[in-house]
Amino acid sequence: MMTLFFLTGILVLTYAMLVCHRIPALIQNFRLQSLFLFLVTLDFAVRHREAKVFVVAGLLLLVKVILIPSFLSRLVKKIKVDERLGLFLNPLLSLISALFLTWGASVFCSWFLYTRQTAVFAAFVVSITVVLVGFFIMVFRMKALSQIVGLLVMENGIFLLASVMAGGMPFFVEIAIAFDVFVCAIITGIFMYRINKVFTHIEVHRLTDLKG
Amino acid sequence: MLLFLIVIIPVLGAVLSVLLPVRVRGIANLAAHGGVFVLAAVLAYHFSVGNGVLVFGGVLRADALSAFFVFLISLVNLAALVYSRPYLREDVFAGVLSEKQVRGYDILFNVFAATMLVVPLLDSLGHMWVAVELTTLASAFLVGFYNSKSSVEAAWKYVIICSVGITLALLGTVLVYHAVAAQTGLKTLDWSVIIVQAPGLDPRVIGAAFLFILVGYGTKAGLAPMHTWLPDAHSQALTPVSALLSGVLLKTSLYAIIRFAMITQKAMGADFTSRLFIFFGLFSVAVAGIFLLAQKDFKRLLAYSSIEHVGIIVFALGVGTPLAVFGALFHALNHAMSKSLIFFAAGNAVKRYKTHHLHMIHGLVRAMPFTAGAALVGLLSLVGMPPFGIFMSKLLILTACFQKGLYGPAALLLFFLAVVFGGLMFHLGPSIFGKKPKGVVSGGEAFSMKLVFVVLALFLVFLGVVMPTPLRALLEAASRTITGVGI
Repeated sequence: MMTLFFLTGILVLTYAMLVCHRIPALIQNFRLQSLFLFLVTLDFAVRHREAKVFVVAGLLLLVKVILIPSFLSRLVKKIKVDERLGLFLNPLLSLISALFLTWGASVFCSWFLYTRQTAVFAAFVVSITVVLVGFFIMVFRMKALSQIVGLLVMENGIFLLASVMAGGMPFFVEIAIAFDVFVCAIITGIFMYRINKVFTHIEVHRLTDLKG
Repeated sequence: MLLFLIVIIPVLGAVLSVLLPVRVRGIANLAAHGGVFVLAAVLAYHFSVGNGVLVFGGVLRADALSAFFVFLISLVNLAALVYSRPYLREDVFAGVLSEKQVRGYDILFNVFAATMLVVPLLDSLGHMWVAVELTTLASAFLVGFYNSKSSVEAAWKYVIICSVGITLALLGTVLVYHAVAAQTGLKTLDWSVIIVQAPGLDPRVIGAAFLFILVGYGTKAGLAPMHTWLPDAHSQALTPVSALLSGVLLKTSLYAIIRFAMITQKAMGADFTSRLFIFFGLFSVAVAGIFLLAQKDFKRLLAYSSIEHVGIIVFALGVGTPLAVFGALFHALNHAMSKSLIFFAAGNAVKRYKTHHLHMIHGLVRAMPFTAGAALVGLLSLVGMPPFGIFMSKLLILTACFQKGLYGPAALLLFFLAVVFGGLMFHLGPSIFGKKPKGVVSGGEAFSMKLVFVVLALFLVFLGVVMPTPLRALLEAASRTITGVGI
């Protein structure tokens, strides 16, 4: 029951990302989503009393709830760009698209999954939805920052899948992935800083020097 | 221990690059990568005389297939390192780069090398995923090294597109994990364990997982239509790095795809992977051919040619007979060397003519004879002329294709290859032999560059004429590892 509650929370927060107009809102939303992801993992750890999963949950809290969002917020303040995200698709249309993405995810999951457990099926659908919405944010928002957040959201979706199914992947893999996500956020952040420096904006659709 | 040394030496190289002054640093790096190459050759030799598996500490694992890829990576690494010395010196001399940036290059080069070398040596598919993603992150700064508008743009597209691809590959990895856990109760991602359990895994989940894997790692491998980052990154990166990206980075992702394909084939038969491979392979060759015809930029031209060759390798994997797989691996080796050679030549030309534009780079043979020679050998090799190695590997692949009765795909492949042949010859012929523009000075090629050119060219001819017994044995062993049958 608890799991379903968390899943719903994550789904709602994922949809909420699509109505964000401003960069700080998107980052805070991501922070909240990561917090729910942390809760899912913690829930699993408490129920199964697995020390390693506690560590993974702690790592999740540190990296995705605290470090990455703070780093991104600080970076955005530092480069002083226009805080509007720049929507190619307005919030309502984005939401409707997200509903269709969820429907697509459930069709896809029922195609290859023969489970009777509602929780597992729901976890699959929510995870795939989160991945798809992350991708949607990357494509339909103008700023470089939204691509970073979109990528992190996609990764959150996959983390969720692994957590709900089996309390996460093998311990050392989980640690390595957390490290990797952190490094990825830092490096993309640095590149966003450089883009702003060379182009004096961070709008990805205006990066069109290279073609063909 | 051998496996551990291969991974740790470049890491030490990175640390030393932080500490040592310029002169000593060059020698230390050369010694490090020379050492890695020797160790990789020892590893390769080990698997060519007898089969089996080497493990280290429960994390590293090598069989013939890993040994082949490690050998390939260390070879191109060494060539790129030797070439990059004079290349960067010229930039420092011209004031384009500072000494500090060169130090940064040395550090990143070593980190990049370490991440690539570790990919084929990891047993856990999760660790392998992390290593592949780290190759992207380590090389991102090398792509955006000059910090100009176009290089920053290229680096951004490179990091973002490849990371999305890799994220999809992670989804595929998690699905495989789920399938294994659901079927056997084992919570593991170790390839050596999964491959034993593979026949009992749920074919639908594995099929879905493989789709994600193919699209995900395929993005990084440069398969069309996920290839869009590749021409940008290859053309904007520092030239030695372009050679590394094209020669071996793409192949590390292919390696990951091969490992998953082996699991998938055991779980659901060979047809599924085979069809996908043949489709993506042909499509990549076709897309590359079309874009090649319309290219104006020297290094982009070569980038599209890389897409073509990755297409050929994947096509051959799709044909799937032991001979075809043997040809695919041999082709990977030949392509890595030809592409490094011609990228090095292109780098020299671009620097001398101060432009990427093909119609302005003419008469290379008068301006830089050695470079022109290298470009010519590289060009003839890439389009598949005898007596170079690629001719032999293409012949093997097509033979295997006909043996299996795949006449249609073979005909299509030949047609697209003809288009590529025309495109490359049309563009590069005048660049090499045309009339040299006034104001471009002649001569002045560094000795170590000439050395790299001559060694690589001789290697290519050598591989086209004779197949050394140890290499043949290694490739056979690797092909047997993939297909389970001897040639």
